[in-house]
Amino acid sequence: MKSTSIQSIPTLAQLLFVLLSTALLSSLASAQESAVDIIDAMEELYRGESSLARMTMIVETPQFQRTMEMESSSIGTEKAFIRILAPRKDRGIATLKLDLEMWNYLPKINKVIKVPPSMMMGSWMGSDFTNDDLVKQTTLTDDYDLTLEETDTEYRITLVPKSNTVTVWGKIDYNVNKELMIPLSQNFYDDSDRLIRKMEFSEPREISGLLIPSRMEMIPINKEGHKTVIIYDELQFDPPEIDESIFTMRNLRSRF
Amino acid sequence: MLLFKLAFRNIFRQRRRSLLTAMSLIGGYVLSVFSFSMSEGSYNNAITFFVQDHTGHIQIHKEDYLQRPKIHKSIPRPDELSAILDANERVASHTLRVFAPSIAYSDTDNTPAQVIGVDLARERATSTLAAKISAGAYIGPELDGEGYYSAMIGAGIANNLNIGLGDELILISQGADGSIANDIYRVGAIVGDRSSADRSTVYLPLVASQEFLSLPDAVHEVSILLKDDGLAREEAARLQELLPEFTVDPWQVVEATFYQSMQTDKQGNVVFLGIIIFIVFVGVLNTVLMSVLERTREFGVLKAIGSRPAKLALMITVETIMLTSISVLIGVMLSAPLILWFSLAGFALPEPMDVGGVLMSHLTGELSLYVFAVPMFLILGFAILISIPAGIRAALNSPKEAMRSH
Repeated sequence: MKSTSIQSIPTLAQLLFVLLSTALLSSLASAQESAVDIIDAMEELYRGESSLARMTMIVETPQFQRTMEMESSSIGTEKAFIRILAPRKDRGIATLKLDLEMWNYLPKINKVIKVPPSMMMGSWMGSDFTNDDLVKQTTLTDDYDLTLEETDTEYRITLVPKSNTVTVWGKIDYNVNKELMIPLSQNFYDDSDRLIRKMEFSEPREISGLLIPSRMEMIPINKEGHKTVIIYDELQFDPPEIDESIFTMRNLRSRF
Repeated sequence: MLLFKLAFRNIFRQRRRSLLTAMSLIGGYVLSVFSFSMSEGSYNNAITFFVQDHTGHIQIHKEDYLQRPKIHKSIPRPDELSAILDANERVASHTLRVFAPSIAYSDTDNTPAQVIGVDLARERATSTLAAKISAGAYIGPELDGEGYYSAMIGAGIANNLNIGLGDELILISQGADGSIANDIYRVGAIVGDRSSADRSTVYLPLVASQEFLSLPDAVHEVSILLKDDGLAREEAARLQELLPEFTVDPWQVVEATFYQSMQTDKQGNVVFLGIIIFIVFVGVLNTVLMSVLERTREFGVLKAIGSRPAKLALMITVETIMLTSISVLIGVMLSAPLILWFSLAGFALPEPMDVGGVLMSHLTGELSLYVFAVPMFLILGFAILISIPAGIRAALNSPKEAMRSH
């Protein structure tokens, strides 16, 4: 809706804006390009060509705190496979993502459940991450127009949905540490420009020769006391044990 | 005393008229008692039904679980609460329950299901769950040889999933800690039929539901059955004082919608009976006025020899009340055996009604003092009311005019 509305009579402000932006066109074009490069570099950080990670997820709500350990494999942006290792009662629960589709496997009942499109904004395993975060976040530079702002220490990139794309967020602020070239924070806004949630990156560590923030915190603004932390315990890029056979229904269903 | 003697004799001066008036009074009274008995009886049946079916007389929850159920609004360490309730001599029994919405799966189908975890032994003593089982037997809380807990499922679920006794039932829900609750159970019993209120319910042993929902040592609801069913409000207030950290409600609050519509309906019933009795009393008023009119001369003589007007008015009132009382007395004698039969046997319904899994084959009435007393006081009240204008008429006549009339 937001990207398809067309106003037939431009206002004076809009005309002025067009004039100004034409004047600034050349500088904008290059800024757009480098913003794309920066975001791509950030998204690539955690993934490489293929990756194998062990992480700890801590879900905090006013009622409970839950810690899960999991193993995650990925190839490029299209394929991902996550298996929960601990706690014991959730051990073996797995999620397979192939392109834009997603399945959960529950070993106790030996059942694969496809995550329907209507549940994409639902919580993944009771955390503050949505299923959509796992499936779609990778296409940031395809779906959004980027504008770059620089300060002495940070790149501040604002992502606004391109017209004719259907996106979840009305706007994303993406802040990057200029010197270390690592992400600092992301703020997610809805269509009415209200801050819905923010993700903060911290505790940079050198993993496989790259400096990577090892701790990510997702904080939903509208749910007081809720927070999800992901800590990278291990991360390997292009490990030999990752191959296509991991990202199959057969592997999803295998007892663990 | 002379006044009463006179009044009593006056009633029998016009026997046929008095008899007809008495008959309309007796008819009105019996009709009222019968209608009261039916309304009280059917409501009491409904109350008894849901109190025993699931509500209990009193329920205990955490915070506002009753209005806004959330899985984490649970009562911790229910054993402590159980000990308190077991020691309370006014409590007949109580049961512990856990609730969660879920999706039930068989190999091929799925259907929404309400999971209720119950303390099996306590539930049996508190609600009619065991009586509602239509196939299989009341389950136990232990694991079977393959490590599955047993479940009792509503007939609707058995039908939708096309499963029966001994089959596997898969449940998926959200745990209290945000995890995906999922497990397999063995169908041990089918509850009710496809029209029962709990056709979409899955009953699990309490321990199984707590494991399923990652809700160790906690329950959502404590339902209490009292020895005296009339004391729900008083006992709830007493328990609330004792347990300030929880919310204690009598059934009148738990089933507020039912209770309020019942109160409204009962009030409407009283108004309706009032109208019937009013119509009866238009006839009675006619009788009284006639008897005053034809005794105009007599009243004139009484006044001339020194009777006070107030005495005359009082005599008319006493006459009316006497006639009414005799009628009501006969009415009680006639209606008592009728109501006794109605409350014990009742009308056989042409087809037994299934009310939430319990078969009701008879429409029965209520036998209580209330049923007899309310119409009695209504009728006596009306009797006093209509004797006033007649009495005034008798009191105000002038002896000179009166003695001239015939």
